[in-house]
Amino acid sequence: MFKYTVKRILYFFPTLIAISFLAFGLSKCTPGDPANRCEDSSSLAAINNCEVEYQRWAKLFGLTGPTFYFELTSKAYPDTLYKIIQKDQRENWQALISHYGNWEQISNYKNAIQETQLKLFEIPDSIGKSDVKKIKKELNFLPILSKDKVITSRLNKILQAYNNTPTLRDYLDKEISNLETSYQNIKEKAKPSQLYIPTIHWYGFDNQYHNWVTNFMIGDFGTSYKTSRPVASEIRDAIFWTFAMMMLSIFVAYFAAIPLGVFSAKNKGLRFDKITTVGLFMLYSLPSFWIATMLVVFFTTPEYGAWTDIFPSIGLGDLPSDAPFWNRFWETASHLILPVFCISYNSLAFISRQMRGGMIEVIQQDYIRTAKAKGLGKSQVIWKHAFRNSLFPIITLFANVFPAALAGSVVIEVIFNIPGMGKLTLASILEQNYPVVFAILMLAAVMTMVGMLVADILYAMTDPRISFDKK
Amino acid sequence: MIFGKNKEGKALDILGKQERDQSYWARVKRRYLKNRLAKWSLRVLIVIFLIALFSDFIANEKPLYCQIEGKTYFPVLKEYAVDLGWAKREAKFYQTPWQDHDYEKVIMPLIPYSHYTQDTKNIHFVSPFGDQDVPSKRYWHWLGTDQFGRDVLAGMIRGTRVAMLIGVLSMFIATLIGLFLGSLAGFFGDTRFRVSRIRFWLNLIGIILGYFYAIQSRSYTFNVANENGTFGTEVLKSLFIFFVIILLCNFLSKAFERISFFAKKITIPLDLIIMRLIEIVNAIPALFLLLAAVTILEKPSIISVMVIIGLLRWTTIARFIRSELLRVRSLEFIEAANAMGYSDWRIIIRHAIPNAIAPVLITIAFGVASAILIEAFLSFLGIGLKNDEITWGLLLSFARESTMSWWLAIFPGLAIFVTVTIFNLIGDGLTEALDSKLQ
Repeated sequence: MFKYTVKRILYFFPTLIAISFLAFGLSKCTPGDPANRCEDSSSLAAINNCEVEYQRWAKLFGLTGPTFYFELTSKAYPDTLYKIIQKDQRENWQALISHYGNWEQISNYKNAIQETQLKLFEIPDSIGKSDVKKIKKELNFLPILSKDKVITSRLNKILQAYNNTPTLRDYLDKEISNLETSYQNIKEKAKPSQLYIPTIHWYGFDNQYHNWVTNFMIGDFGTSYKTSRPVASEIRDAIFWTFAMMMLSIFVAYFAAIPLGVFSAKNKGLRFDKITTVGLFMLYSLPSFWIATMLVVFFTTPEYGAWTDIFPSIGLGDLPSDAPFWNRFWETASHLILPVFCISYNSLAFISRQMRGGMIEVIQQDYIRTAKAKGLGKSQVIWKHAFRNSLFPIITLFANVFPAALAGSVVIEVIFNIPGMGKLTLASILEQNYPVVFAILMLAAVMTMVGMLVADILYAMTDPRISFDKK
Repeated sequence: MIFGKNKEGKALDILGKQERDQSYWARVKRRYLKNRLAKWSLRVLIVIFLIALFSDFIANEKPLYCQIEGKTYFPVLKEYAVDLGWAKREAKFYQTPWQDHDYEKVIMPLIPYSHYTQDTKNIHFVSPFGDQDVPSKRYWHWLGTDQFGRDVLAGMIRGTRVAMLIGVLSMFIATLIGLFLGSLAGFFGDTRFRVSRIRFWLNLIGIILGYFYAIQSRSYTFNVANENGTFGTEVLKSLFIFFVIILLCNFLSKAFERISFFAKKITIPLDLIIMRLIEIVNAIPALFLLLAAVTILEKPSIISVMVIIGLLRWTTIARFIRSELLRVRSLEFIEAANAMGYSDWRIIIRHAIPNAIAPVLITIAFGVASAILIEAFLSFLGIGLKNDEITWGLLLSFARESTMSWWLAIFPGLAIFVTVTIFNLIGDGLTEALDSKLQ
């Protein structure tokens, strides 16, 4: 038993690590660049300011540094590419390398662009103002372009503007020719063969994944892209409602399901059993978002006559926070009736079906017959002998009910407009607020796994035949 | 004597029939059909399938057959040819809307609307019992319209196709993965998969090199192909490169195996590895992962939703087939096949899986139900499908925008409910029919 528990817990960690890889990998595939919030490039100061801003955001969101402990790439890629923080530029240089395979020339070209950009600010306003502006504009495009045709046309435009004002020659002579030759060099000195030599870069422990995971373990889930608040505090606000609803619905489900299951098992084959079996089956198959929609449509509005307007409308009520506690309590409670019903009826049906099945199997056992033969009363046999033994599958179901309620509450929270985890998830997905999405994904996975772990250990405790070695 | 012969033949016939009836599947079928609910579910399912298959012929704004200026046309059939690139649409048909032609003879489909037809006279949620501005009862909107005047019944018929496509194809993907991994785990267990040392290491290296040369080195080619629309062929080329590298590694290992140091066998605990994998996939809340994955995709389509559901749903099938194979592999006929010198793969595919497939059918039935539910759920939330596609979930979600249109709340939800229930009932019926205890 002890050995099994230890082994089971040890197996827990590789699984958790694998899930963290998946969540992190997915979060790296997300489109968009959350740190890019500054477009101003009118002056040197503004550009510098933008870069500082960008770095600040990138650092806040944990987007700086290498991605993982190591990287499998080809020899053409330098191991310092991650130091280019701007996502669009980094991806662009990567695209250029994947075409030409000569980082030295590409980095020369990159430096030439930067030098030209800096030099442009040294030109006094009196000289060729419109042309300088044009060159600036075209230059800003260059770091995010990788297609030969497009780059050439931009370079030609720069040359045109440059030749248009001869006085610019005093300032930009070296830079412009540098720009041109460096780009020509990329094409002429292409080394695509480098792309076929595999290399592994080792980055050590200061990487994005490592930081994300270690922070996650101490409860720091990152920073929300949308509000710049810690994700943990956003989740804390939301989890209260989800948790309250989940607990209520689990309570309701178990409270109603267990007697129902026991009674229909006791009366197996009779009319009561047949009706409840069919009824529970229907209940189990009814999609909760359909029932929820119908309840909202028919029972929260007076459109179909005053008598159908039984329940308060969606949301949690709008009493001010300084209203008396009990008033607020009843207001909230009346708003929670429908959502809790919608979450619980599915698991109610499921649990009582399981309960019925378990009970029927137990009733057929020899020791029940013995108990009956002993002359014990019917209810004593059922509740004392049979009930306890049929509870095992129900206990272990607890592990499944938890994550199922979490998932089921997504749509219920959306329909009834309750500010819980489900609504937060959906809102974050639609707003592309990925740190929240992946923190919730990880949290839900951890919760599911803890549930499974507890269920397995409970199983092993109740049934000593279970072990890893014999399956 | 002729008389007697006839009787003999009859007796043989009866015997043969009995023999057939005693086969495993015949018994399963008989027991399944005894269950009235399951039998009727199967019949309703066939109807739903037919609706999905012929949805274009049931609800369409194009006529099935028409005659204009002495020429006959079959516009619905023609549309298929146009989609396949075999034919071109007549100019006059896309210059004027279908209802504005002067037909000499015309046969319209049962519902003369497509799911995208916007009936401008009946916009803003017209009730089935409300004042509908239609030329005749033939054009009545039997289940009302939505905000843009689209016929709800036509939308639901189109939605049947999407639901069936998602349900069936995602379970097909799941079954393929589940069968493969589950049978590996069940047949080989932890101890029976033994390969030589060199083959193991060379294959590991082969996978890494294959990834490098098939994907990493070709990123520029992929970028270019993505713009030219030749992405598919490049993927095939990459797969080819990958398999060639793996093949090379296996050839090499064959050569190295002559050296006894390399030829030493090591055991790979396949069962353990695959069970961990199943645990990982099960631990991820499928819905959250699906939500996250669908939004990452820039252009989500039915196919991507199908693939993701398939990638998440294979675990139950794998577990079923694994436990069945654990049972089957210790049976005598497998031993006999082993003794005959058949290869492991042949035994798995020809002997073990056919004897273990029955319980998988149950999982597939339940799996289709849950896949349909997930898709309805996603489109209800407005995630994952393209704008021009209509699904049951999407139709149901319109009811949230306008609470007075009860027909949008009831009918699409009913379609989801009926379909899901039917698959669940079929699953239940199969469970009962396959239960060996009841024999």
